[in-house]
Amino acid sequence: MMPVEITKDEILAVYPKVAQTMADALGCDVEKVALNVPLIEGLDAESIDFLDIVFRLERAFKVKIPRGKIVEDAQGDLPDAEFERKGYLTEVGLERLRDYLSEVPADRFRLPMKVADIPRLFTPETFCKVVVRALRAVQGDDSRGRLSGDGSAEH
Amino acid sequence: MDSGLAGKVVIVTGGSRGIGRAIVELFSAEGADVTFLFRESSAAAAEVVAAGRAAGRRITAEQVDVRDPQGCAAAVERVAERGGRIDVLVNNAGLVRDNLLGLLEDDDVRAVLDTNIGGVFNVTRAVVPHMIARRAGKIINVSSVAGEKGGRGQTNYAASKGAINAFTRALAVELAPRRITVNAVAPGVIETDMSQAIRDRAGEEVKSRILLRRFGTPIDVAYAIWFLASRYADYITGEVLHVDGGFKME
Repeated sequence: MMPVEITKDEILAVYPKVAQTMADALGCDVEKVALNVPLIEGLDAESIDFLDIVFRLERAFKVKIPRGKIVEDAQGDLPDAEFERKGYLTEVGLERLRDYLSEVPADRFRLPMKVADIPRLFTPETFCKVVVRALRAVQGDDSRGRLSGDGSAEH
Repeated sequence: MDSGLAGKVVIVTGGSRGIGRAIVELFSAEGADVTFLFRESSAAAAEVVAAGRAAGRRITAEQVDVRDPQGCAAAVERVAERGGRIDVLVNNAGLVRDNLLGLLEDDDVRAVLDTNIGGVFNVTRAVVPHMIARRAGKIINVSSVAGEKGGRGQTNYAASKGAINAFTRALAVELAPRRITVNAVAPGVIETDMSQAIRDRAGEEVKSRILLRRFGTPIDVAYAIWFLASRYADYITGEVLHVDGGFKME
């Protein structure tokens, strides 16, 4: 079953709270947390900040976000050996990632790419989508719910 | 001398007996809100809680096997929920199953490694996000002189404690930018149930190799942990502090 596409409205519904959460975690002004700014190169986030961001998002939205969820979901049902080899993405793996991280400009997906460097692609929008998926999971079976202005889920 | 521990939310693993109990009692006497984890000593745990509460201290017990990552995560969440944060973690839970390498059962190796170092991973991983979010925290791991000094029949225990020392240094590097300190205390031979066998078997011989010519007491170790958790140790991280009466030097 194909996952239900995430709409721009859903992303914008959670974005203000996601941006504030990221600003708190990174110690920067919320105005700097644009939807499409790369977190590492644009906001000086370090890998440990992702742990903090996910922890804070879980509390802010009352959802559970398993560690490694973004890469795991991007890989989907693709076997490990077809997704990456010796720590580098395969061509198919890169294609999967590009499809999954559709908010990231296509020219940022270039081989060779280390799996460990995938977080360099992440933007606030990436995490907005993670939150939307997690909220849907709370509502049950990835069925689409309606998101209110503060990002909480309604039916 | 204000240690800064009053009102702090503290987790101590393995807190129902021995060194862990001394830590729980010392920290709670300082006014800290202490939750200790214990695996099976329910009666001892109840006694620690009852005695503490009778003295007006804030002590809570959680029955958790530190080998269980989900159980640890759930217990840590309960503490954070109750206290609103976690200020100090003391990873103290450990067990010993000494034997010569060739005589160790698989379970002797697995149980010691899974509890002594696996438990440190499980509890610390659950606690660290809380500390990172607040940009503050102190983690103190209870290692052992066995982590550095060779000891016959202690390959499993020594490996687990050496791993704790390495874990301490690595995590100190990782968490320093978030203003979280990570240190270890390495006790020598301490008068607890856990060291009873070795003290019975070779007590005098061991004592003759301790510079101060006596075994340590749980409170000797608890004071060192108190220091590392206090504001007096704000500028110390990545250290392994030996509390062994000079045993390591011999």
